[in-house]
Amino acid sequence: MRKPLSLKGKYCGNCHYHNSYNYPDQIFCMYHYVRHENHIYPTLSVCEHWEPDTQECYCVEEAQKKQEAKR
Amino acid sequence: MRREDFLYEHVNHMKLKPTMTINQLIQEFSKSGCFGAGRVATACDIFEKMVRDEQCTVFLTVAGAVVPAGLRSVIADVIRKRFVDVVVSTGANLVHDLIEAFGGHHYKGHWLVDDFLLYKYHLYRIYDLFVPEEDYVKMDEQLASIYDEIAKENKGQGIASHEFVWEIGKRIKDPQSITRAAYEANVPIFLPAIRDSEFGFVYLLHSQRAKQNELLKLNAFEEVRKLTEIMSDSDRIGMVVIGGGVPRNTVQHAAATTRKGMDYAIIITMDRPETGGLSGSTLEETVSWGKVKGSAAKVMVIADALIVFPLIVACTLERVGENFVRTHVIEKNRG
Repeated sequence: MRKPLSLKGKYCGNCHYHNSYNYPDQIFCMYHYVRHENHIYPTLSVCEHWEPDTQECYCVEEAQKKQEAKR
Repeated sequence: MRREDFLYEHVNHMKLKPTMTINQLIQEFSKSGCFGAGRVATACDIFEKMVRDEQCTVFLTVAGAVVPAGLRSVIADVIRKRFVDVVVSTGANLVHDLIEAFGGHHYKGHWLVDDFLLYKYHLYRIYDLFVPEEDYVKMDEQLASIYDEIAKENKGQGIASHEFVWEIGKRIKDPQSITRAAYEANVPIFLPAIRDSEFGFVYLLHSQRAKQNELLKLNAFEEVRKLTEIMSDSDRIGMVVIGGGVPRNTVQHAAATTRKGMDYAIIITMDRPETGGLSGSTLEETVSWGKVKGSAAKVMVIADALIVFPLIVACTLERVGENFVRTHVIEKNRG
């Protein structure tokens, strides 16, 4: 059995409501979309509706790598 | 039947040349007349007859992921050329058409990849091709806005699936798109299983955003009336089936309902009849239901539609010539 990916921080890219929009930098937030609110967020941002239901994806990891490479 | 009746024509072996055209290759298939080669050659002859028959309404049914895999432009072209009068498709094939219409792509991949790795990268696999999740998401976003617009314009009135497809086609610009081609050529595309595709998920997005009195309404039964009306108005009926499934059944059922029975039928499938499923059912079986006439020109090609359908279309294009113009039979009957 595969190990679930460990959650490495409170990021939109780890949240249950996210889909990939511009991988890995931006995510599409379903929660905000259905409420007619801004729904494109940076993968590494976080909001009050964040849910730590990991999707076992590389979004956060790769977005962090890109951010570090830019510095 | 006498012994010599079984031995009326011997197999002529294929001769291949370096500069052969598609039609010439198909003629060589015909000389063999055996197995898949013989059936593909027969399918080319039947499709040519259908296209040249001015009293025949040609139905194309599309199931299986042929649009993302490369048949998108071929299908758009047969619509624009009026080689087909009506299309019945799975919702998914039009979804993949719209993914590209909105700027997305399908990528060549491989079936021997780590699917959990694809999952972690937000990539979806359809056998040996990949679709990035973001291309779906961007399509969902734009299509949901189109749903909002159509719903507002129709003010709570239900529309049929082919009208819905025309409404989408009206709002997109991509000339390679099947949806756009159908709108421009006035060819109806029926989506009898529309809910069972991304169209259903986009409805969920639209319904969670829209006001109750501004919800998109599709009338599933209206297309039954429209399909049977088209069949009733046609002197002859032909169908080309890619795959099978709900689209094939929709056309066959309408042919039985109108007591017309099809005059031409080509089925391209890899499915088997033994399980009793429709996609693999033989043309002889459809004769028992009155869906296809016993006297019909018909053939079932057991092969990958991605190989066979372009061959049939290319061969027919070559035979009828560049300047061939087919009048849309439905429009012609309306005067």
